[in-house]
Amino acid sequence: MSDPAVALTMLGILVFTIMIGFPVAFTLMALGVGFGFYAYFQPGQEFFDSRVFYLLTQNTFTVLNNDALVSIPLFLLMGYLVERANILDNLFKSLQIALKGVPASLAVATLATCALFATATGIVGAVVTLMGMLAFPQMLKAGYDPRLAAGVVCAGGCLGILIPPSIMLIVYGAMASISVVKLYAAAMVPGFLLAGMYVLYVVAIGFFKPHLAPPLPKEEGEVALGEMLKLLAKSFLPLALLILSVLGAILAGIATPTEAAAVGAFGAAVLAVAYRTFTWKGLRESMVLTARTSAMVCWLFVGSATFASVFAYLGGNVLIKDFVLGLDLSPITFLLLSQAIIFVLGWPLEWTEIIIIFVPIFLPMLPHFGIDPMVFGILVAINLQTAFLSPPMAMAAYYLKGVSPPSVLLTQIFSGCMPFVYIVLVTMVILYVFPQTTLWLPGRLYGG
Amino acid sequence: MIQQFIYTIDQISKSVGHAFSWCALMLTLGTCYEVVVRYLLNDPTSWAFDLSYLMYGAVFFMAGAYTLSRGGHVRADMFYRRWSERTQATVELTLYVVFFFPGILALLIAGWRYGIESVRINEVSVNSPAGIPIWPLKMMIPVGGALMVLQGTAEALRCVLCLREGRWPARLHDVEELENQILAEAARKQAGTQVAS
Repeated sequence: MSDPAVALTMLGILVFTIMIGFPVAFTLMALGVGFGFYAYFQPGQEFFDSRVFYLLTQNTFTVLNNDALVSIPLFLLMGYLVERANILDNLFKSLQIALKGVPASLAVATLATCALFATATGIVGAVVTLMGMLAFPQMLKAGYDPRLAAGVVCAGGCLGILIPPSIMLIVYGAMASISVVKLYAAAMVPGFLLAGMYVLYVVAIGFFKPHLAPPLPKEEGEVALGEMLKLLAKSFLPLALLILSVLGAILAGIATPTEAAAVGAFGAAVLAVAYRTFTWKGLRESMVLTARTSAMVCWLFVGSATFASVFAYLGGNVLIKDFVLGLDLSPITFLLLSQAIIFVLGWPLEWTEIIIIFVPIFLPMLPHFGIDPMVFGILVAINLQTAFLSPPMAMAAYYLKGVSPPSVLLTQIFSGCMPFVYIVLVTMVILYVFPQTTLWLPGRLYGG
Repeated sequence: MIQQFIYTIDQISKSVGHAFSWCALMLTLGTCYEVVVRYLLNDPTSWAFDLSYLMYGAVFFMAGAYTLSRGGHVRADMFYRRWSERTQATVELTLYVVFFFPGILALLIAGWRYGIESVRINEVSVNSPAGIPIWPLKMMIPVGGALMVLQGTAEALRCVLCLREGRWPARLHDVEELENQILAEAARKQAGTQVAS
């Protein structure tokens, strides 16, 4: 067997083992070591003198002191602290009152709350379950179509993986060797574009099909302007300021993402203290969950580093690249094909696996097709929203089902998510046709 | 007997994981301190940068075994979750032998040689004149690897127990993600109303 063929076998075994459900980090490591031993085999060499063992430890150490990844535990800690600060109730209430005038105001307030809260926490499950208990019953009570109400909660909850400071973009940046700062700048306009399209869709429904999203009775929740501003200042402003200062410091180049994230985590704790919801138990829980989630993400890097070096050494990358380039695709066909593959991979796999294992296969081909890796990354991040929303994976839908009344069927939640999946796809088309939506802000801020 | 052994290992991994989760807090506080003295007092520290990735490395690497004990490492369970518990255990035990131990043992043994060399020359970071020792980070590779081997053994024994009893043995209680707490609570409530009605 030729070396590239061996590499393909290695990839084949990986895909097979992933599908039967073994933790991917270990499969990657074992395949890397096993095939690496074959690749670097020199007759007469001591077993442990094989280069693969040097590669394994060196790669592991590279992940251990990779300063692009240091901000991951910090943003996670910030998210877990915000999650436990018990601020969602008042945040939702104040936005609901503030947005009372717009059509489908409850749904718009839900989207806005989700977007803000998800941006701060970045954890899909927490946002969907919390809003599923808070906003979902209120929408049902107000006579909303259960499908619409479900779609709003699910779609809003997923925005956190896209809108900075998202962990997904840090991971993509590390894989594609793009600075996280630039990626964050690139994701700003597309993130708000997607959120804006969601809002537009709901407002249109409220306007044209009010029976699906009936307006609230006039007298309900009537408060004076001063009262409303006070509410907003108390529950909306602090969290918004926290996020804005973290993002602002990063984008303006005042602080590195690591520094901004650390201040953000500290700020989240201060926020909890100010709201009198800070507990030692909450802090300990946040720290422990931070450790676990960081381990989950970063061990994947440990496993994939050795796998990727061995795969490339055996010529696997070149083989795939030559094959794809040999197909003589047009850039748009390539992009459609690659995004379609990522879309399908999103069914069985989580975004961590997709970005750390599969996206790097496409990355070396991007220059040939003249596609900017930043645009590609943002497209991937938006694309992966669909995985959370559409079956069979549809984690957001399952989370919502878990907290909603039994009368709401899973199929209703699925069908409620579908319009939002279409909006995601439309947004991707817009981003492709107008790459400036992605490139304008980073270009403006950092030139080139 | 086996059950007790598994729980002991779980407890070790958990204690280490919980202990090293403090590094997340130290990472936060250390970096915040640096931000204050650098931007406000214009007097940067020489150690904050090295401290940041030492803490980051420690928190994720040493929590690896703990995460394994909580079933927290990413896996695609699309097919897995549909199998009977015995099938799950058979497949998983096989995969632990074929895929887990070879890779992790290699990490442990090669990491030991790598780490001990760094200790021997008392290696320090080149990032700053402060001379922050770098060997603790390198020694983490074999130590974290050893914890992984230990926890992997416990997981493999869980499969054996499951094959014998026909169902998965229970896990120790521990901190859970908020969504899981909420979902469990909701499920309990729903079960409650069903009994009541």
